[in-house]
Amino acid sequence: MRKEIPLGLLYSVTGTYGAIGRDLLDGAMMAIDEINEDESNSISFKTIIGDPGGNIDEYHRMCEDMLRRDKCKQIMGTITSIGRKEVTPIIEKYDALLWYTSPYEGFEVCENIIYTGAAPNQHILPLFEHMFTHFGKNTYLVGSNYVWGWEVNRIARELIASVDGEVLGEKYLPLDDVDVERIIDEIERKKPDFILNNLVGNSSYAFIRAYHELGKRNSDFLAKTRPIVSCDLTECDLKHIGAEAADGHLSTAVYFEKLNNDLNQTFRTKVTKYFDKNRSISSFLVSGYETVHMISKSISIAQTDEINAVMDALYVCEFETAMGRMKIDSNTNHACLTPLLGRINSNLEFDIIDASKHPIIADPYLINFSAEQFSRRIATLELQEANDYLKVIK
Amino acid sequence: MTRFYTPNFNGKKALILHRNGESMKRLTRQLERLGMEVTICWPEFPKSDGVYQNGKLIFDIIFVDADNGYDDLFPWLLGAPPVPLIALLGSELPGRLEWAMSQNIASHISKPIQSSGVFSALVFAVSNFEKMKSEQLHLENLEMVVNSRPAVLRGVSALMKHGNLNESQAFGLIRKAAMDNRTSIEKYCLALNADIFDKLLINSANFKNSKKAN
Repeated sequence: MRKEIPLGLLYSVTGTYGAIGRDLLDGAMMAIDEINEDESNSISFKTIIGDPGGNIDEYHRMCEDMLRRDKCKQIMGTITSIGRKEVTPIIEKYDALLWYTSPYEGFEVCENIIYTGAAPNQHILPLFEHMFTHFGKNTYLVGSNYVWGWEVNRIARELIASVDGEVLGEKYLPLDDVDVERIIDEIERKKPDFILNNLVGNSSYAFIRAYHELGKRNSDFLAKTRPIVSCDLTECDLKHIGAEAADGHLSTAVYFEKLNNDLNQTFRTKVTKYFDKNRSISSFLVSGYETVHMISKSISIAQTDEINAVMDALYVCEFETAMGRMKIDSNTNHACLTPLLGRINSNLEFDIIDASKHPIIADPYLINFSAEQFSRRIATLELQEANDYLKVIK
Repeated sequence: MTRFYTPNFNGKKALILHRNGESMKRLTRQLERLGMEVTICWPEFPKSDGVYQNGKLIFDIIFVDADNGYDDLFPWLLGAPPVPLIALLGSELPGRLEWAMSQNIASHISKPIQSSGVFSALVFAVSNFEKMKSEQLHLENLEMVVNSRPAVLRGVSALMKHGNLNESQAFGLIRKAAMDNRTSIEKYCLALNADIFDKLLINSANFKNSKKAN
């Protein structure tokens, strides 16, 4: 007799970041269907879906319903940090486990949360290593006016200062605001080496399109030479931007559809079969999918959904995923992940142009970061780049 | 705006003065995640062997049970902790809060300990402690200035008489001499005597003559 496990899925599939929510939910549902259809599994999932629609007041109520009424011990969900913070007290009160699947700005380790998305040392740090050595150090920072943009840009300022670069501007827009022209004007005046984009949803799409228009009238602002880079722009956003405007810009993620490994090949085939052949795959879709499999495997080993037993099982598992090998660090509850750098091509895909040589353990409080070491590392990489360049022209 | 660096507690040593239990284990885990080394001790402050190195406390930060803390717990004068002190508060009884304030705590965490709140308590504690220390130094300096006022008055009026100078000439000479000696006017005045007055006057006359000659 298979044991039925209630699993809460709390994602906003409508509202500002609906595209992300839809990918997370789709990925999760695909895995749940796979598990439920396979009779050899010792468990099956009963899913309880909640869509707060991006309305922050709905998170707490929906989460409490899942915990109290539906007896969920495991909840996957929330996309923004504001959403996560909203449900954390109630998750702790019911001693349940929240599986948080988005990249975020770090500085948190809650013992009732498993973090499968990237922390700053897995997104902004490797991204800036690449940008400083390939494009320059004078940066323009934009973001949506909430904690993600503020904090990632703060870390960016610290990184820029440590290599004696300059922050040429820092501007924020309210969520969903598409009035980007003043920012574009300032960028044209200041001519940064690259632009860090922490805008989300519609603001981000409008900004990238407006930058493309700038490039058409002033060839100093082309994606090839002066790109926009993001830490959370994925395949699910690209069709909203449009191929012409998106082409050439960069983003860091722990997964891109074109990632070349056997498991990703299999995964892509499964996605085509489950959805349709035109379905693009983002790191959110794969993260939703793989996280459900992590939950399923941990519960199967623990033979219960009681959270301490589930966590003990989780910590000893290694997961072969479409993203590569994954493991959860028992010290921080964060995933060990391999950061990638993707460049958007004209077919609305990311070409992977750089990748970390090995998986990186999450350092949510950046305790292993030192500005001096970072600056020395950039100097070494610059030297390597220069040598490689000399070798090429010889 | 002064630059705010990511606070980093990696390698710092914390002392927790609290009965060990589930809540303190949680606090310890959280501190260790921040890279800190943790010692738990209760009901007394650890014996002095090993906790002082070259006369300096080895701990960088101290957490104390504000529910059960008592006046003789710390080996220093009341309210003068040498490192930031963080109160672990369960009870909010005014008497207990009064005790915590009398110890000059730099921040607090409510019990039971949760995962959130530890990092911010550390950041606030270190910042508040640094502020308290620099304000203390500033205050001591101001006190010294006020206390030395009679000596400065005595010095200026004695020099006026000795050299037949007006007040601003005498004060100007003293201020210049204090600067040349890299000391404060107040400290300089405490050491003044007739011989020094003579030297000051001779130097001043030489200085004026050399200016005229030029």
